Parts: sequence; C-alpha cells; structure tokens
Amino acid sequence: MKITLHHAHEARSFRVLWLLEEMGLDYELVVHNFFDKSLRSPDYLEINPAARVPALEIDGKVIVESGASVEYLCEIFPEKGLGRPAGDAERMEYLDMLHYAESIGQHMANLTQAHIVLYKPEMRSPTQMNLEARRLHKVLGRLERQLSDGRDYLLASGFSGADCAVGYGVEVAKRFVSFGDLPHCAAYGARIAARPAYQRSLPPEDVQRIYTKDFYEAPDV
Amino acid sequence: MIRLHHIPFSRSFRILWLLEEMGLDAELKHYSITDGSLRASEFKAISPVGRVPALEIDGLTIYESGAIIEYLTETRPEHGLGRLAGDAERVPFLEWLGFAETQASVLASLNMQHLFMGDPTPASPVVLKLEAARLAATLKAMERTLGERDWLLESGFSAADTMMGFNLFSAPYYVEMDRFQNLAAYRARIEARPAYQRAREKDGPQEFYKKEFYPVPEV
Repeated sequence: MKITLHHAHEARSFRVLWLLEEMGLDYELVVHNFFDKSLRSPDYLEINPAARVPALEIDGKVIVESGASVEYLCEIFPEKGLGRPAGDAERMEYLDMLHYAESIGQHMANLTQAHIVLYKPEMRSPTQMNLEARRLHKVLGRLERQLSDGRDYLLASGFSGADCAVGYGVEVAKRFVSFGDLPHCAAYGARIAARPAYQRSLPPEDVQRIYTKDFYEAPDV
Repeated sequence: MIRLHHIPFSRSFRILWLLEEMGLDAELKHYSITDGSLRASEFKAISPVGRVPALEIDGLTIYESGAIIEYLTETRPEHGLGRLAGDAERVPFLEWLGFAETQASVLASLNMQHLFMGDPTPASPVVLKLEAARLAATLKAMERTLGERDWLLESGFSAADTMMGFNLFSAPYYVEMDRFQNLAAYRARIEARPAYQRAREKDGPQEFYKKEFYPVPEV
C-alpha cells in the first residue's frame, strides 16, 4: 500500500507523521513550506483544494483532516495496536481524546495566528490573545485530570494514536501557556518528546520553522 | 438512562438532533451562558472544564461532540447513521466530522470576538476579516459538494449531517449566504426533517446573537 504524507514542519500534519513513525510504516514524505505559496500551487490544489496540510494519500484516497487520518490509520493497521477498535473497553475514551485534540488545536491555532502569522503588533488584539491563552489553559485542565491517576499516556493501557493527536497540541501549547500549575501535562509533554518516533519526526536543524521562540507572552491589556 | 447537558444553539444541538434522529429518549439539562450555571459546582462535577455538550450514557460521560457522534452511531448501528470501520464511505464520514469541527472552530473564534469581548469589541479588524474569509472558504467547499447530492455523503443522510446542526445556523451571522444556493436548499432539507423539528422545539431560545448580522469592520 503506497502512502504519501504532505507535511509542513511543526504544523498539524506532525500528528500524522509521528504516527507513521510510531507504526514503522513505509511512506513518502512531501514537505511543503508553510509560509510561501507552495500550498497554493496548482499541483497541490489538485490533491487538497483547501490548500492545507496534512493531506494523506493512501490506497487511492486522500484524507485531509489530521484527526480523521490518525483514526483511519489506526483502524486499517490494527496489528500495530495503536487504535482501540469498536467494542474495546477504552473505545469511548479513545474517541473522546482524539476529538479533544482539536479542542486544544483551535486555541493553539488562534494563538499561532495572532503571535506569528500577524507580523505587525497593530494587526493583533491583546484582549483576544489573553483570552485565547486563558481558554487554552482551561482546556488543558481536562488533560491534567485525565493524567492525574499517574498514568503515562492518555489511556490506562498505554500509548495510542490519540497521544499523537493530543501530544502535538501539548507541545505547541507550552509555547503559549505556563505549565507551572499543570504538572501532569508537563511530565506528559516530556515523556512523549522523548519517544524515538517523535524525535525522528522533528524538523531538521536548518529549515524555516513556524515557532522560533520557546514562549510567546500574551501582551498586556 | 441518557442525559444530555445542553446550551441552546451551541455544539450540543448536534447531539440533541442526532438523539431525535435515533429516537432515543434522553433527559435534557439546560444551561445558560449568562446565568453562571456553567460554573456551578454540580456542573463542574460532570464537566470539569465547564463546556457543553456532556453526554451521560452507558455509565460513561463523553464530552467532545464528534466523539459522541462516533460513539452513538457505533453502539447503535441499527439506525444506520454512521459509516463504521470497513464501510466504503468510512473516510468521507470521518473527514466530514473533522471538517465540521474545523469550520466550527472558526465560528467559535468569531463568536468569541464579536460577542464576548465587550461592545464595541476590542477585537482586531484584521483577524475578524481573516476569520470571515476562512469561514466563507469552508462554505464554498460545502456548496460544491451539495451541488452534486442532497446530503454530505453520497449514500444519503448520516450523522455527519447532524454535525452541521451548529455550523449552518451560526454561519449566517458572519457571512452573507445569498451566494450559496445549494447550501440554502440543504438547510431547507434539514429543516424539513421531523427529528430536526422536534430537536428545535426542545432546544430553547438562543442567547448568543443580539443582531441579525455581524459585518466585517473596515480595516
């Protein structure tokens, strides 16, 4: 089965890239530049008219939502053990965590837009940036509670595809909110970042990145 | 017993509508965005982050509307509203669930900036314009699909359509819908469904929007 992933360094497509690495699958990686017009090239618009990453080409299909890609890959490669199929005792929690990844993702995306994509301060709203950071912190409260029984990963049985979906968001969220009062989230972030498959998915040293600062402070209102 | 924690006109309407499509009896607990009921301790015990929906079902509590839709269609396959693992439409079904949330995140951002930051809003006009354009682009993608078929999936109505129970009714506050004729016809088909009508009767009055339309400010 031929698999091609269209990716931009540090974008949501990281979730899918990391999962492919965890699964040890053969795939072709096409890296697009997040900042120039390459996602708007006619060739790429053929693949994904929405001009976004990820796009996962698999088995003659194209999947453009990262959550759908993660769920589908885990489903069609059950032998990798990274999904929790229908009927599994952890199925509901697995699904809830997969979708929770986008509850984190939307605040993260709004903050990325405000701090990074909008390059001039006068384009930004400090009120919105503060509110988004507070909301992101609040949403992470759910993860803090999920991990509070001392488990290493989202599900008690161990690492799953849901960790690829949520874990990416945790790593980006660290750049926008302080994890001082989220000790379980902080430890979880360190645990996932230490995984060899995660590290293999990181961008090489010399490329343009979305995130160039460790922390983006919300401006004073 | 099934219990849905609900705010009128929010993402939880997706679930309220789907429960009606499935003919499942559910107890409905209403909350308001204005009276502090979301921050009350009884609700915090159910939903620690204070968000709706929350669905209590089969001895579990589920929070994310997309996950609830997957869970309901999987555990109640007799209604035929999901496209389960192995189905030929599995990928488009999952994609539409994801698409609906991508679109809803733009709507949620517009709601926050237009409605909840003060009047006049201290939002950035650049951001409001960007978000409205982004929303219009997602509507245009739907408009194309719905030119070819009645529902999001080729095989017919599915739970993916119920995800639009929030989106399609919030979008007209931010984007002029006249240019999306297929979407208008789609919305009319939705509104003609008895289950949708029953769900709206139970929904309650919306407390989000004070105006008919929130235009993009001059930059």
